[in-house]
This record gives sequence, C-alpha cells and structure tokens, in this order.
Amino acid sequence: MSAAPIAPGRAAAGPAPGGSRAVGALSRLLESRVVVQYGLLPVALVGVLIAGEVLAPGVLSPSNLSSMTRFGVEIGILGFAEMVVIIMGGGGIDLSVASTAATTQVALAVLLRGGVELWLGVAISLAIGLALGALNGFFVIGLGVPALVATIGTYFGYAGLALVIANGVNIADFPASYLTIGQGDVAGIPIEFLFIFIPVAIVLAYVTSRTKFGHEIRLTGTNERAALLSGINVRRLRFSGYVIAGLLAAIVGVVESSRFGTAQPVADSTYLLTAVTIAVLGGVDIFGGEGTILGVALATAVVTILEYSFSLAQINSVIELGSVGVMLIVVVLGQVGLKSLRAYAARRSSA
Amino acid sequence: MTDIGIALPKGVSPDSSPASSRVRHMLGRIEYEGYLAGVIVVMAIVLTFTVGSAFWGSTNLSGLLLDVAIDTVPAIGMTLVIVTGGIDVSIGSLVGVVAVVIGLSFEAHLPFVLVLLIGIVVGIGGGLVNGAIVAWGRVPPIIVTLGTLSVFEAITYQLLGGVWISTIPAELTQIVVLDRLGPVPYSFIVAVALVAVFSYIMARRPIGLKIYATGDNPEAARTAGLPIRRIQLFVYALLGGLTAIAALMTVGQSPLVMPTTGQDFELTVIAAAVVGGTNILGGEGKVIGGLLGALLVEMVEDAAILYHVNSFYQQIVLGAMIVAGVAIGVARRRARLGAKAER
Repeated sequence: MSAAPIAPGRAAAGPAPGGSRAVGALSRLLESRVVVQYGLLPVALVGVLIAGEVLAPGVLSPSNLSSMTRFGVEIGILGFAEMVVIIMGGGGIDLSVASTAATTQVALAVLLRGGVELWLGVAISLAIGLALGALNGFFVIGLGVPALVATIGTYFGYAGLALVIANGVNIADFPASYLTIGQGDVAGIPIEFLFIFIPVAIVLAYVTSRTKFGHEIRLTGTNERAALLSGINVRRLRFSGYVIAGLLAAIVGVVESSRFGTAQPVADSTYLLTAVTIAVLGGVDIFGGEGTILGVALATAVVTILEYSFSLAQINSVIELGSVGVMLIVVVLGQVGLKSLRAYAARRSSA
Repeated sequence: MTDIGIALPKGVSPDSSPASSRVRHMLGRIEYEGYLAGVIVVMAIVLTFTVGSAFWGSTNLSGLLLDVAIDTVPAIGMTLVIVTGGIDVSIGSLVGVVAVVIGLSFEAHLPFVLVLLIGIVVGIGGGLVNGAIVAWGRVPPIIVTLGTLSVFEAITYQLLGGVWISTIPAELTQIVVLDRLGPVPYSFIVAVALVAVFSYIMARRPIGLKIYATGDNPEAARTAGLPIRRIQLFVYALLGGLTAIAALMTVGQSPLVMPTTGQDFELTVIAAAVVGGTNILGGEGKVIGGLLGALLVEMVEDAAILYHVNSFYQQIVLGAMIVAGVAIGVARRRARLGAKAER
C-alpha cells in the first residue's frame, strides 16, 4: 500500500562495521520500515485495545466493531485531510476543516430544501468544499500567510458563513434517500464506511504513494530546496493540498449531516484535535515528508476504539478529548525523540 | 537572566549594530501602529455620527473598555510568545481552569487576596507546562497547545463536576467592573499600565532583546549562546500568568463559572496580537499593538451590536481581520527584505 519512503540521508546511516553491536542493532531497528513509517502506532493500538477491554468489557464485539466503523469515517477522512497538508511541509496544517464541513453540510441542506436534486446538491456542496480549500490555499500560498494563522482566520470565517447560510439553526428536512448514506448498512457494514471511507482511502493511498504527485509531495515535505531544484512546482503542489483538504472536509460534512439527519451550522470543535492526532499517530511527520494512508487509517481505528470505549464506559466526552490531547503530545514527543535517537544511533554507528 | 550587558552577540543581526536594529524595530512599526490608531479613530468618529449617544454612553463605553482590558492583558503575553516564533491556542481553556480553581477557593472561603494569588499561580503553572514541552520536547507550539487545550478543558470539567459555581464574592465584581475613573474601569487602567511596563521591558531591557533575537533568527540566537529554552519557558509562563489575570477579570465581569467559561477566548487574543502587527513569523511585534488590536477587535464587535448586525457576521469579520492583519505583516516583511536586497 505504501511506496518506499523517500528519506535522503538515511541510506547513508547504515551500521558501520566498527560500531558497537548493540548500537548497530538499535540503529537497524530504528531504520526499519515499521518504526520509520508507523512510529508508535503498534504500541498505541495494543494499549487502546487493553484499555478498551478494561474500561468497557466486550467493546470489541462484532456489532460494536460495526458501529465503530460508522464513527470512525468522519474523523478518519479529516485525518487524511490533515495528512495531505502536513506532509507537504512548510508548516502546512489546516485548522479550518471543521468549519468547512459545517458550511458544506448546511449548504447541502438549504439546497435540498430548495428542491435541488440530491446528486446535484451533493456535487455543489463538494464544489463549495473545493472552493473553501482553494481560498485557504490562496491565503497560504498566494498571500504567504502562515497556514496556522490563515486557517485560524478561515476557521472563523467559514464558521460565520455556515451560520449565515443556515440562519443559525439546525436544518433537519433531508429526504429519506439521503439518510441512507450515513445510516444504512450492507450486511452489517455501514454504507459510509464501505462506499465512502474505503474508496477515499484507496484513492488517496494510490495517489500519495504510487503516482508522480505522491513522490513530489514527499520530496517537497522532506526537502523543499531539492524539490524546487528538480523542477517541482512547490507552490502549486501545496495549493492543491489545501484544495484536497477542502474537498475531504466537504465529504465529511455530507456524511455527518446524513448520519445525524440534521445539518448543523456549529462546527464540531472536537474535529480538529482528533484529526491532527490521528494524522501524527498514523506516522505523519509533523515537519513534513512522511506519512501513509495505511498508517492514518490504523490510527483512526486506535482513536475510534478509544472514543467508543470511553462512551460505552459512560466517561464524559470532555475527558475523552483530554486523553486524545495527551495522546497527541505524547505521540509527537515520541516522534521527535525517535528522530533524535535515530540521529544519535546513526552518528554512533558511523563513527 | 545572568548577563548584565544588553549587547547582542554578533551574528544575531549581521548587518546592523544592536542599537540600530532596535531602532529599526521601533521605527519599522510606528507606521503600522499609527495606521491602526487611525483606523480606530475613524471608527470612533463614524460611530459618533451614527450611533453617538449609544456608543459614548458610560455603560457601553466602560463595558467596551473592560472587554478590551480582558483581551489586552493576555495579548501582551501572546505578543511575546508569537515574537519568539510560537503560538498558544490553549489560553481559552486555561481561563476555564483558573476560573474553576478560584471559584472553588471562594467556595472554601479562602481569603480574597489568597484566592487571587492561587489563580495566578495556576495560570503560570499552565503556561509552564506549555513552555516546558515546547522548549524541551521540541514539539511545534500549535501541537502542544492544541493538546493542552483539551487537557485543560478536561481538568475544568473534572473540577467543576457538572455544576456551575456562582458563589463569587461581589468584591471581585466591584474591583473589576464597578471601580472606575469616570467611564474608565480600573481594569483598563491596569491593562494599560501592564502594556507600558512590558513595552519598556521589550524595548529597553536585555530580556526584551533576547526575546526578539530568539524569534528573529533562532539558529543564530542559539549559536550566540542565548538560553533559548529558558526564554521560551519564560514567555509561555508569563502568558499563563497574564491569562490568569484575564480569568480573574472574566469571573468578575460575569460571576458565574461554567464549563464554557473562556471558550474561544484564545482566538480573540490571537486576533488582537496579529491585528496589532505582531508578525506571526516571529522576531517582530510590539506590546502596544496588542492593545490597539484588542481595541479594534472589540470596537468592531461593539459596532456590530450597536448597528444590530447579525452576530454571525462578526465571526466572518474577525476571521477576515486575522488573515488581513497577518497578510499585511508578511507583505511588509517581504517589502523590507526586498529593499534590503536592493541596497
């Protein structure tokens, strides 16, 4: 599912014969594909499985697993969105995704209420997502506003836009056919998982690892100068990242409103933290260059199991979010720590 | 800080002496602050001619100035954090933690002054956590504070236990809201005094120069032997302490501690700082900009109320102000770098 990671300089860090055996082994372990790409994911997965069973025995029953996949779809796709912008480096991040999802879902609801055909309404709201993403891209790439602040600004802006479109209230009159997306299932597997999450994941996995585009975004994130020198249009590439993130956020808006049967103009404030956590837990290097869709998908499973266990154990969602926050910090600390350990081992073994 | 001299080590600003770099910092910003003050004056004039009495009425004016004070105090700290190249999105939920802790302390009938001190200590503690992880963990500040945002929220919820605290002594409201000099609440005077003190520190004291140097060119600052980590720890802790003061004012303003106390406050403060001309890329920004930015942001909000504009549009305007403020900062830096390159 994933192509060979592009990591200049790492190849030179192989263990030298003169290095001590232990350091060499450590170095090899740290160089290994699993550690490099997925970092702390296996540890987190095992930890969450144990915690889940302790907190809410039986949490992993087939029926629970099936409903879990439903909850994972939205945060997982937002995790993909963060991956796409973070992986291109240059401080890329999109803090506006939750507002984009809110705007697109109320736009869809208003269109459907106005008698627009379902497919056309969905198409328009996805187009709105693309446009909002492009506006982010314009601010970040065109005007040079750092992504962090540009997308805090648009987080506000789009949130206001959603409220204006919906006139501040939830909109609930969706046609029954629309609700199937977020509420129906095939053989016990939720439709949005089967027909939205899986296809999106496969397409993104292909695009980000098997295509020229995927190669270019990794190179851009790892070494911007090298990317520029090899003729990659870094600005256009990064711009496209924000457009993709906007589209993915719009998909989330559509799925969410269908699952709830209600379009909500107030952005889900938990989305951002969860999406960023999923991305970095999935092995996306916060400084750019690394990350795989498979990793992010697995991280989605970790966070979903955690959230589901917490809610089964009737622990308040604020506490659950707090643990996601701790997880985020620990994972990034681990990432940074692994990196310096790797550098240390490489120095030792080549010395 | 150990050293006494204010001279920056060589390499921090290779093309100019420390004194001239300081002058450049000051001169470079005057334009922008003047422009900002102009916008504020124009807005005030427009408000005078359209809704005059409603705007200048002492209820509206002192309410506005209190809001400005509450934003300005942490905006000072936010400015310093952003100058070092950082950001802190956790202060809204830190307001929540401080508010709950002082609420519980009031409930426990602790002495008034002690409660205020406890609040400030808690704020500094929260800031130290952020600062320590940023400095020693080398984790990007947005990630750290995004994480602690949710952790602080969880702490607030846990301490509050699902109920509201309403036993806030009237004394606090008296000091924060009702004690005034004409229409100007003491809180606003405190905020202005803090702005004056920190403007002096940033312009004249060694620590001010070190903070600018840290953000201007972290590599050079590190090479030159500046204690980058201690500086980072200091600015985040300071922001925490100032946030606690804002929390005290918030509780005085609306004497009720709820799970939502402080929610989204960080965004207003960040808006005040960047609208005030602090460059998000680090290395430049003035404390007075935070005051002017807060004034502008709150005046826009006040105007929206006075004109009966739907509150939904406020968010759009605030978002636009943030993006525009930063875009101007980036454009100015580009222009200056361009001018330097031509020389």
